[in-house]
Amino acid sequence: MPGQPLLEVRDLSKRFAMRGGREPSPWIIQDLSFSVADGEFLTIIGPSGAGKTTLLNVIAQIDTASGGEVRYQSEVAPLGDAKALNPGLSCRIGYVTQEDNLLPWRTTIENVLFPLNVQRRLNPETRARAEMLIRTVGLAGFEHHYPHELSGGMRKRASLIRTLAYDPPIILMDEPFGALDAQTRLHLQEDLLRLWNLGRKTIVFVTHDIAEAIALGDRTLVLSRTPSRIAGEHVITIPRPRDIRGLMSHPEFGATYERIRAQVQ
Amino acid sequence: MAILGDERKSARVALWSSRAAARLRARGDQIVVLLVLIAIWQTLSMTLGAYWVGSPWGVLTRFTAGILDGELLRNASYTAAEAALGFLLGALPAAALPFALRRLPIATAILDPFMVGGYGAPKLALAPLFILWFGIGIESKIALVAVTVFFIVYFSALAGVRALDARLVRMAQVVGASERDVARHIVFPGAVPYIFTGLRIAMPYSIGGAVIAELISANRGLGYLVQLGAMNFDTTGIFVALVATTLIVFLGNWSVNAAERRLLRWRPPADLTVETGT
Amino acid sequence: MTVHDSALDLPQGGPIKWRRHAVTAGRVALAVALVLAWKIGADVAGPLYIADPLKVLQRIVDDTLSGSLVRHTYVTLRLATIGFALGCLFGIALPFLLRRLPRLTNAVEPYIMASVGIPKYALVPLFILWFGIDDAPKLWLVGLLVFYPVFIAVFAGIRNVDRALINMARVVGASEATIAREVIWNSLLPFFFAALKIALPRAVSAAIIGEFLVGNEGLGYLIEHSRQNFDTTGVFEGIVVATALVLVINAVLVAVDRRYSAWRPTDRQMEL
Repeated sequence: MPGQPLLEVRDLSKRFAMRGGREPSPWIIQDLSFSVADGEFLTIIGPSGAGKTTLLNVIAQIDTASGGEVRYQSEVAPLGDAKALNPGLSCRIGYVTQEDNLLPWRTTIENVLFPLNVQRRLNPETRARAEMLIRTVGLAGFEHHYPHELSGGMRKRASLIRTLAYDPPIILMDEPFGALDAQTRLHLQEDLLRLWNLGRKTIVFVTHDIAEAIALGDRTLVLSRTPSRIAGEHVITIPRPRDIRGLMSHPEFGATYERIRAQVQ
Repeated sequence: MAILGDERKSARVALWSSRAAARLRARGDQIVVLLVLIAIWQTLSMTLGAYWVGSPWGVLTRFTAGILDGELLRNASYTAAEAALGFLLGALPAAALPFALRRLPIATAILDPFMVGGYGAPKLALAPLFILWFGIGIESKIALVAVTVFFIVYFSALAGVRALDARLVRMAQVVGASERDVARHIVFPGAVPYIFTGLRIAMPYSIGGAVIAELISANRGLGYLVQLGAMNFDTTGIFVALVATTLIVFLGNWSVNAAERRLLRWRPPADLTVETGT
Repeated sequence: MTVHDSALDLPQGGPIKWRRHAVTAGRVALAVALVLAWKIGADVAGPLYIADPLKVLQRIVDDTLSGSLVRHTYVTLRLATIGFALGCLFGIALPFLLRRLPRLTNAVEPYIMASVGIPKYALVPLFILWFGIDDAPKLWLVGLLVFYPVFIAVFAGIRNVDRALINMARVVGASEATIAREVIWNSLLPFFFAALKIALPRAVSAAIIGEFLVGNEGLGYLIEHSRQNFDTTGVFEGIVVATALVLVINAVLVAVDRRYSAWRPTDRQMEL
């Protein structure tokens, strides 16, 4: 991956303000540093409560940082002042959250087109791309259904392609497949890799599932318990395209899994 | 296995048919009650005299005559128009105000005791004042209805604006929505169910308000017909006007429910509200 | 769905005290502005349409001292109270009675619910025809307007009583009357109080409106009679006193409710 990293996190620290003037609250993240190269699929593993969502919230500019900095394409993002926050960094950072956050009063296609709408980028070309995405993840025929008429897995898919539809250069994903059953999760992992292959976007994917992190990522970072910092970095040498279903029988999988598992407390 | 399946199936059929039978029996009972009520009415009318209670047949014929010659419909539409126009005049600003003040929480906080006071105060007591100001015509009724409806819908709309899901707002901000986009696509649709609750509660008050004002002073409308009947000792006329008024209330309820069903198709089912009636 | 008050996100920066003072100052300013608007309106529109606030105040004082205002208020309150008691009585008794006759209840229920749609105020001329021009028609009006919310609340409350509790009581040998008293009544108490909060102010309001149509005493009579004589000051006087009365009753109810609801587990669903 040539050139400088797309996203750089340096000595990032975060704790939440305590109300009522009691002792300061514990650090959620402390002196956390890593970088992400352009076109890289980075996975981050951490146990529950390790501040994974907090980390992504800060990067996505939804939350302030208490220290350190985040650079996007060498441009320092404003992090200390809540008023100066720029969620999504002007649509350059996409964010697929744990909850699907679909608008309940809009149909599937309206939800998928929602970002393009508010960005005033809706035209025949972008619309065709959105429709292609809908077909790719198997939601064809459900374009005019409301979220409450869709299953959990379908809502997740819709939420996923909503972000893909407007094509931000970097996409953060917060355990997007966590609440789904194993079969659906497998399907969605395959769909995600297939879509990623089409455009080689930069993705930062957070999960607590080691197998998922290995299956999807070019590189995996291990997060320690709070106060979280990077406990380790593992390059995934399994070549692409990957067969997710048969991944566990790949010769390199076992060793990689063990290495990572040892580091995750 | 097959035998068990058959047993289960026949048990299910028996349960279903016993439930259906119970429902059928209830329906039958209800029809019986209706007939009994009409019979009691008829008996009272024969013993006490139609002068005091009217008679079922008399009311039916007078009602039909009133529709055929247009008089009943004319007065009914007059009352309905007062209620509808007043309803719109009160509900629209009431629904809009919490949105307009959304970014100024101080303004809402300052207004709060005045709104609570307005909500608690007996608006219908203003009827004579509005009649003094606007006279015997339609304006006084519209004003009364508007004031009554305003406070009800305001609090419902306020609750709707407050029940904002912050996660949806954050999602919209991340994908680049402006403040106006957020208001249009998230705040407003989220508040609509609450506003409809307010509309549903306010609807009977709108007709009630129109009727009260007509009872005090009017020369048209269903309330006027009731007073006319009372002044002429024409009980049948009173009953006809009462039936017409009740029908209008049902019509109003139906309209609000139909509009809600259309606009809120996106809602997951199972939403119960208990209302206390006028 | 998270209930998040982000729409009321208070401005960051600046201590909480500052905000509270600003709000209080704003409310006082608004109140003063409204009274000023009233005065200006009276000067502009003339005494026929808007009575001068000071004259209204004067009239209230005069009528209080002479006792006529006290008399009117007393009459209205007495009407409201008796009607309220009657409405509560039937509103509570009827559901308990119906409880023992489930078949009758099912048969009668749709008609009761349909009768909710009849605007009760429209019945007053009929009541006048039937019961004369004394208190009776007004008592019927107040009674009916109180009956419905109480009846519906108690009826729904009885329906929602935990079957397990009733069964337990039966198993340990409680009589039907004891079950009604201990289990059912206590379970529906929150619903009942919620309905009372609506019904009590409504009773006063209904008394006033009844007095618009019949009678020669009471706050409603004061308002309407003044209107007929084009005595706008009297109209305003009646409205101000009536409004103050209902607002005071509301405030007392809220205070009592707050004091006695401390023991109740907070359940938003209870609020009708």
